[in-house]
Amino acid sequence: MSYEKEMMDKNSKGEVPNDRLDIPLLKYLWDASPLSFKTKDNYHTFFKKVTVLNSFTDNEIRVFTKFLHRREFIANEVIFRQGDSGYGFYFIFEGSVDVFANYQNINNEEKSDHVIRLEKSQYFGEMGLLEEFNRRSATVIAHENTVLLGIFKPDLEKMLEFHPVLGAKFLRETALIMANRMGQLTREIISLKKKVKDLENRV
Amino acid sequence: MQRNLRIKLFLFFFFLFAAIAFAILFPRLTLPFGFAYIVYLMAKPLTAILTTGSRRQRMFFFSLLVIGVSFSLFPLFAAFYNIDTDFSKFSSHLPEVKSRLQDKFFVIKVYVFEKFGYRLNVDPVSFIIEKLETSGSLLLSQIPNYLSSFLEWLLLVPMFLYFFFFQSKRFGANFMRSIPNSIFEKTYVLFSQFNTKFGEYIIAKFIEATILGTIITFSLLIVGFPYPFVLGFLAGITNILPYIGPIIGIIPALIVALLSNDPNASMVSMLVIFFAANLIDMVLVFPLLVSRVVDLNPIIVVVSVIVGGQLGGVVGMIVIIPFIAFFKLLFEEIYKDLSVQL
Repeated sequence: MSYEKEMMDKNSKGEVPNDRLDIPLLKYLWDASPLSFKTKDNYHTFFKKVTVLNSFTDNEIRVFTKFLHRREFIANEVIFRQGDSGYGFYFIFEGSVDVFANYQNINNEEKSDHVIRLEKSQYFGEMGLLEEFNRRSATVIAHENTVLLGIFKPDLEKMLEFHPVLGAKFLRETALIMANRMGQLTREIISLKKKVKDLENRV
Repeated sequence: MQRNLRIKLFLFFFFLFAAIAFAILFPRLTLPFGFAYIVYLMAKPLTAILTTGSRRQRMFFFSLLVIGVSFSLFPLFAAFYNIDTDFSKFSSHLPEVKSRLQDKFFVIKVYVFEKFGYRLNVDPVSFIIEKLETSGSLLLSQIPNYLSSFLEWLLLVPMFLYFFFFQSKRFGANFMRSIPNSIFEKTYVLFSQFNTKFGEYIIAKFIEATILGTIITFSLLIVGFPYPFVLGFLAGITNILPYIGPIIGIIPALIVALLSNDPNASMVSMLVIFFAANLIDMVLVFPLLVSRVVDLNPIIVVVSVIVGGQLGGVVGMIVIIPFIAFFKLLFEEIYKDLSVQL
């Protein structure tokens, strides 16, 4: 339920709204205002651009950002390694990251397979949030000075406890990301199988 | 770059160990801090319930809370109200107890002389009573010290509570920011798990102690056993100590049953009441409340309680369990990591 609708519902029921001045809300509205000079680098504008969260209302984004941790990484700093226990899901707020498979050493490029470069507004590590005993399936390294916004298992639990609607919505979006990745993988497997079959036929 | 990251990691651990050393060196600050933290953890879920939802929901939960707290605190208040009268009653009975004990010891003396022809020339009764009286006067002489530390706590605990309720969020955010990236995920998750486990354990033990104390108080009251409030209160408090607690809790009642000439102070009824209450605790309360919070082997629990008592007295005995549960989590995590690397 959006904040506006909640207020209107309360009004129609004759409930007196909280007469306490909500400073964080005012601060948020000031930051989110299109006239604000800070618009370009605030979380609200950022999450409006993140495709998976575009079903979130303004107020939901405001509450959601309270659960995030801002982590700053310098260029070439390891964010996590393949095989590490995973607990968090990261959004790239600034900069970009490189994803490597079978990564061995930071100075030894030959021993790693570069999988993909993820840019601003993209995300990674969603499995860490959902699986009970997650192991990171790849190594992620900051390509340049990077700012990540991470949400971790305890945050999700807190969100589900105190903001269950928002928590469920976020879980649904995370499940959608997983479903999309699964779909992508299935398509890739089908295409690889087809290629293998073609090669076998040729031989 | 790697060097800077290593320096950051070193500095983080250096400050962490310095903070731990400070806490160990200044127990006068650490103990009220720890107490305020326990109160904060116990009140935290309530603040969440009382500050969210509609006004009607909040009123409902508030009334429920008032009823619950009054019910659970009743034996405590009753005990404090009656503790004074019970103790003065006990002190006035002390000469009577002394003569009863001397009578009983005289019977033993005669028995030993008749059976073995040996004359016992010791007087343990006077020795014990003397010891009791001197420790009582020692306790009285210590009152100014207790009073000053009580006043210290009266000042410090609300101050720390204010910090936990209103400043801890900002402090926590700054602390989180200072954790190096390489250990952030694990530290944050382990810290959150410890916080949850500690809070749940303290609340569970408090409820368990209240239930046991209430059962024993009311049962003793019904059978007319002397000092029901004090004995129920002591049994509840000592029950906070796992496994050893129920044994310590029964000792005062055992002494009363042995020494009192009150016909209601029956040893059998007292033992039945304590046994039944501890059975209810073991079969119903403990599995439902406490064991799901700390999943530890009973032998580890007993050893930890002894070690905790050695290190930090009664407080150590209580606090050691969630710490051991946390270390278990930590070792499991390290083991999982090592097994992947191998």
